[in-house]
Amino acid sequence: MSILVDASTRVLVQGITGAQARRDVAHCRAYGTRVVCGVTPGRGGMQVEGLPVYNTVGAALAIHEIDATLIYAPPYAVRDAVLESLAAGIRLAVVLAENVPVHDALVMRASAERAGALIVGCNTNGILSPGQCKLGGIGGDLPARVFMPGPVGIVSRSGGMSAELALTLKAAGYGVSTAVSMGGDAVPCTPMVRYLALFDADPGTEATLLFGEPGTPNEQEAADWLASRNSAKPVIAVLAGEFQERYPAGASFGHAAAMIQDPRDTVSAKRQMLADVGAHVVRRLGELGPLLDRLGVTRIGVTGAVEDAT
Amino acid sequence: MIALTEDLAKAYLQSRGLPVPAGSAAATADEAARRAEALGGCAVIKALVPAGRRGLAGAVRKVGSPTEAREAGAALLGSDVGGHSVEQVYVEALEPIVAELYLSFVLDRYPAQVIASVHGGVDIEQIHRDHPDRIHRLDVDPVGGLRPWEAMRLWERCGIESARLPALAALTVGLWQAFVAADALMLEINPVAVCADGRLSVVGAMLGVDDAALARQPQWQAMAATLASRGGRRANARERSVLEINARVPGAVFRYTELDGDIGFFVGGGGASLFQHDLMLALGARPANHLDATPGAGWKEKMAAVVDAILARPGVRGLLISYNFLQLVNVDERMRLIVDHLKLRGVDPTRFPVVVRLFGPGEDRAREIARELPGLVYMPPMTPIEAAVARIVELTGGPRGTAG
Repeated sequence: MSILVDASTRVLVQGITGAQARRDVAHCRAYGTRVVCGVTPGRGGMQVEGLPVYNTVGAALAIHEIDATLIYAPPYAVRDAVLESLAAGIRLAVVLAENVPVHDALVMRASAERAGALIVGCNTNGILSPGQCKLGGIGGDLPARVFMPGPVGIVSRSGGMSAELALTLKAAGYGVSTAVSMGGDAVPCTPMVRYLALFDADPGTEATLLFGEPGTPNEQEAADWLASRNSAKPVIAVLAGEFQERYPAGASFGHAAAMIQDPRDTVSAKRQMLADVGAHVVRRLGELGPLLDRLGVTRIGVTGAVEDAT
Repeated sequence: MIALTEDLAKAYLQSRGLPVPAGSAAATADEAARRAEALGGCAVIKALVPAGRRGLAGAVRKVGSPTEAREAGAALLGSDVGGHSVEQVYVEALEPIVAELYLSFVLDRYPAQVIASVHGGVDIEQIHRDHPDRIHRLDVDPVGGLRPWEAMRLWERCGIESARLPALAALTVGLWQAFVAADALMLEINPVAVCADGRLSVVGAMLGVDDAALARQPQWQAMAATLASRGGRRANARERSVLEINARVPGAVFRYTELDGDIGFFVGGGGASLFQHDLMLALGARPANHLDATPGAGWKEKMAAVVDAILARPGVRGLLISYNFLQLVNVDERMRLIVDHLKLRGVDPTRFPVVVRLFGPGEDRAREIARELPGLVYMPPMTPIEAAVARIVELTGGPRGTAG
C-alpha cells in the first residue's frame, strides 16, 4: 500500500520536452509509472518517446484521463504551470523546481487549498511508492538501490535525506510504503502534517519516519496533530540543524525579525515537542533499525505480511 | 535574503509613488554638509548600513546646519554600526513629526503577515516584550492581497482615530503592493511619521528581498553579491567569489558561509549538510564553513570555487567531502572533477586529510579515480553518514579540547 501514488496513477508531465524531464520520465516509465502525455507551450503536436505533447493542460485533459501532474517548469514559470493544472481540475501536482520565489509559493499554496488539491514541493526530488510508481528524480535510474517496498512511510524536508533514510532502512531490513520529499523551502505548498495524516490512514504503513529542519512551523504542527489524533501508529522523527543554535545570532536587520522570532522553531524545541507527544526522536541514523525492531514493524521478506496488514 | 540599504529601499518606494522624505547618500563629510545645505540646513544624518537598531546605536543624528551635518558625517563615516563598517551616510530632510507608527510586512512562513502598532520608533522591541497586546498582526490572503478595509480594521484595532484611517489604510495597501512587487521577505517602516501638517511620511524603511527572485528584480540584481548577507554580516571576499560564480553560471547554487572552525566542509544536499554539521559539533570539532549546495549545471566551476575558498582559509586542517546517497548523478563524474581540482591545487592528502563519502551509481569507478590521490580516505561502501564525519574529526586531531 501507499499514499498519493500507486501503480494505477496516470501522469501528465508539464515541461516534458526539457532535458531533465526527458531523463526523469525515461526512468519513471522504466520503473512502471504510467506516464500518459506531456505539455509544453508551443510544442503541441510533437511526440516525446512516443508520448503526445499538448500546448495546454486543458487540451491534454480533453483527450486523456489524468490523476497527477509532474511539473518541470523553470522557477519563474512554476506558479502559472501549477495554476493551469489546478484550473484544469488536476488535484495532485509534483513541483521539482528549486529557487521558486516565496511569494509564488504563497499563491500556489493558497490556490491548492481552495481547490482541494495537494502540491508536493516546490523543491522536491519527487515521490515514490516502491515497486509501483515514481514521480520525479527520486531514486534515479534504479530506485531499488535505495528504496525497497515495505511498511515505513517517509516524509522528508530534504530530498537527499529521504534517500539516506531509505538506504538506512534497507540496510536494517526494512522497506518503504511511500517516500515523500516535501521540499525544504520556507513555504512548502503542502505542510508536513498533511502527509503524516495520510500515512496514518494508510493500512500499508505501519510506522512513519519524518525528517525535519530548523525554521517553519511544520514540526510544531506535526506535534499538535500527534497530540490530537486517534491512532497509535508510531511516528519516528529525525531532525537536523541543531548547530544553528550554537552560533551567535547575526546582527538583526530590522525590528521585525525579533517580533516574529518563534522559540519553537529551533531543532531542540521541535525534538522536545515531538517527544512530549509520543514521537520516537532519533539522533543517529544507526538507531533506526533497532527502534523498528523494538516496534515490531514488518521486515522485508516476511511473505504476505504487508498484505495481511491491509 | 538580500538586505537593501535605506537609499535603495527608499528610491524603490518613491518610484512606486509612496511618500518618502527627500534624501540621498553621501560618502564624505563635506558631501553630507552640501546635501544638508540643499535641504535647507535641517536634516537627519543616518549611517547607511543594512542593520536595525541604528537609532539606539547613535547612528541617526538630527542636525540644524551644514556645519553640524559635516560633524555628524565625520563621526559616522568609518565607524562600526551593527557589525557593518559605515562607508556612506544618508542625508534626509527632517520631517515635522508629531507621532510615530510602526508598520512591517514579513514573509518567513505561510502566510505573510502585517504587523502594526501606534508605538513606533526606537523602542518598538521593548514594547513588543513588555506589552505584546499593543502590537497587532494580520495574516494576508496570498491570492486577494491586502484590502483597504482590512488595513483599516487593523489600524482601528491599534487605536487610530477615524479621521486618520483612510489615508493610513491607503498607505498600508500601497506598501503591501510594493512588498509583493519587490518579492520582499521583509519591509519595515519604522516610523511611519504623522507630520504636523497631517501628512504621512515613510521615514524609516528597511527592505529585504528574496534571493530566489533577484533575476526578476533587475534593479538590484547587479548588486546581489555586494548586498548578500552571511549570518547577519556582509559576505567576505571568499564568500563573494562563490556568490559571483553562482550568478555568472546558472544552475546549481552553492551557499558558502564561513565559520570559525578548522575542518573544510564540502557537504550536500541541504538536509545532509545540516545533519553532518550537528554530528561534527557533537564530536567536539567545528566546521570551517557551512555549505548548502543544490544540484544543477555548473557544478564543476562552483565546486572549484568552494574548494578554493576553503583551501585559502588560514588554519583549515582537513576536508570532508560527503553527500547523501546520490540518485541523479554518477559518482565517478563528480570524483573525476574533485580529484583533478585537488591535484591542480597541489593538495596532498597524506598531509592535509581528505575524507570522501560519495555513494551511488558509478561508485566503483569513483574509487579507482580516488586512488590517484594517495592518502585520500574513501569511506567503505554502505558506511553510515556518521562514520565519515567521525573519520575527518579523528584525522584532523580528534575532539578539540582533548587533542590538537
